[in-house]
Amino acid sequence: MKVVVCHVEDLPAEERKIVKVGKRSIGVFNVDGEFYAISNRCPHQGGPLCVGRLSSWAESEIPGEVEVGGSARFVACPWHGWEYDLATGQSFMGPNEIGVKAFDVCVTSGAALSEDVAHAEEQRSPTATGREPGPYVAETFQVHVEADYVVIEI
Amino acid sequence: MTAMTLTAAVDCDLHVAPSSLGTVLPYLDEYWRSYIEDSTVGLSHPGYPLGAATTGGTPPSSYDELAPVLNAANPHRAILTCLALDGVHRNPYYAAAMARAVNDWVREEFLVRDERLRAGIAVSPLDIPAAVQEVERLADDGRFAQILLPVRGDVPYGNRLYHPLYAVAQEHGFPIALHAWGRGGKAPSMTGVTATYLEDYSSNAQIAQVQMMSLVAEGVFTRFPQLKVVFMECGFSWLPPQLWRFDKDWKGVWREVPWVKERPSDYVRRHMRFTTEPAQLPQDPHQIAQVVEMVGPELLMYASDYPHQHGDGFERLLAALSDEDAESVLRGTAAAFYGDLIA
Repeated sequence: MKVVVCHVEDLPAEERKIVKVGKRSIGVFNVDGEFYAISNRCPHQGGPLCVGRLSSWAESEIPGEVEVGGSARFVACPWHGWEYDLATGQSFMGPNEIGVKAFDVCVTSGAALSEDVAHAEEQRSPTATGREPGPYVAETFQVHVEADYVVIEI
Repeated sequence: MTAMTLTAAVDCDLHVAPSSLGTVLPYLDEYWRSYIEDSTVGLSHPGYPLGAATTGGTPPSSYDELAPVLNAANPHRAILTCLALDGVHRNPYYAAAMARAVNDWVREEFLVRDERLRAGIAVSPLDIPAAVQEVERLADDGRFAQILLPVRGDVPYGNRLYHPLYAVAQEHGFPIALHAWGRGGKAPSMTGVTATYLEDYSSNAQIAQVQMMSLVAEGVFTRFPQLKVVFMECGFSWLPPQLWRFDKDWKGVWREVPWVKERPSDYVRRHMRFTTEPAQLPQDPHQIAQVVEMVGPELLMYASDYPHQHGDGFERLLAALSDEDAESVLRGTAAAFYGDLIA
């Protein structure tokens, strides 16, 4: 099933969105122009994986001499620092560690999308603004721009 | 209990010690003989107060004293440990001179007289270039099997300061043997010197834990992939929780030490061994078997630790081992670990 996340312009490079698809929470990342989607549930203890720090791979053959290179596509769970590859969901803390679910992401033009796509709901913290909704709702209008969309495959 | 006797065993830690500085004076030059006379340095070692039950008496100070001990157990090989240079001092030149003297004394008094004997090359952490020189001086002798350092160093043993010594150890295949205690006056705790021998005696395991983590975390085995380390007289039953914690924390903070490419416990299991005295174990044989399974019997190497007395833990350990594991602990693991050095 294809799920539309947002317009591609709404997820610029080095930003992320955490969206809800049904009961699942999924993090969608734009890393250096490449899109990745990964479950927002750390398989270790269920931590909110996708709010964690992104890093590149660090390589060292000699103590004290470290090379950090490549795109920053490893996300660290904020609870224990366990890291996962955004592309594969693979943790790399040893051969027997469990991976996390990764999803295919693509950018598709609006015209190419069929009508049966689902729409992800962006998750926002209810206390993000800290303000009570007021009594009035001003009239708003739908604005639509023909553009490319970020779509994840569930 | 295993059917195997100690006859085929490798005893990795058998103590000898000069009875007085006079014993090693012939191996020192005139300057150091007068230094010893003037400075009142001594051999007294706080790790083994002579009246304490754990000390078990005086180590042999001559081959005539050692021979009955050796003949009673009659091991295939026994590796002598002489800690005499770790007295109460901080003079690196004295330490280096004493290392040479002690090693020469051990060679002339014991090693040349009995083919069953090997010894650790005693070196001081006070002067690593001097330690490297001492190892190179004795490397081709053929009767030395490891490099002996006190587990209480001046800086944790992963530090780059020690790496030249690890390079020469790896080159010659010598394991680094970290033996309980250290120079007189070395605090057994980061928080300072203890008030009692009880605390001091009980502290070797926690010091070994610090050194074990330092060696792995500072990348010693990445830089020296053939290096081997044996912890002597520091216990081993503390390993399971310590290794679990070490692995667990590494998963979260590995970026600090990207040269640690495998789980820390993988390095420990590949590069490190632990001698069987003291065997700090529960009484219940089933619980002993559980501890041994968690530690891994392949990490353990037999040591009589004569003359020191740590209780009957080793007998209980042996009783809990399968015949195959007992053979490994008594002989096989040491034979593989030391290789040609004890062949």
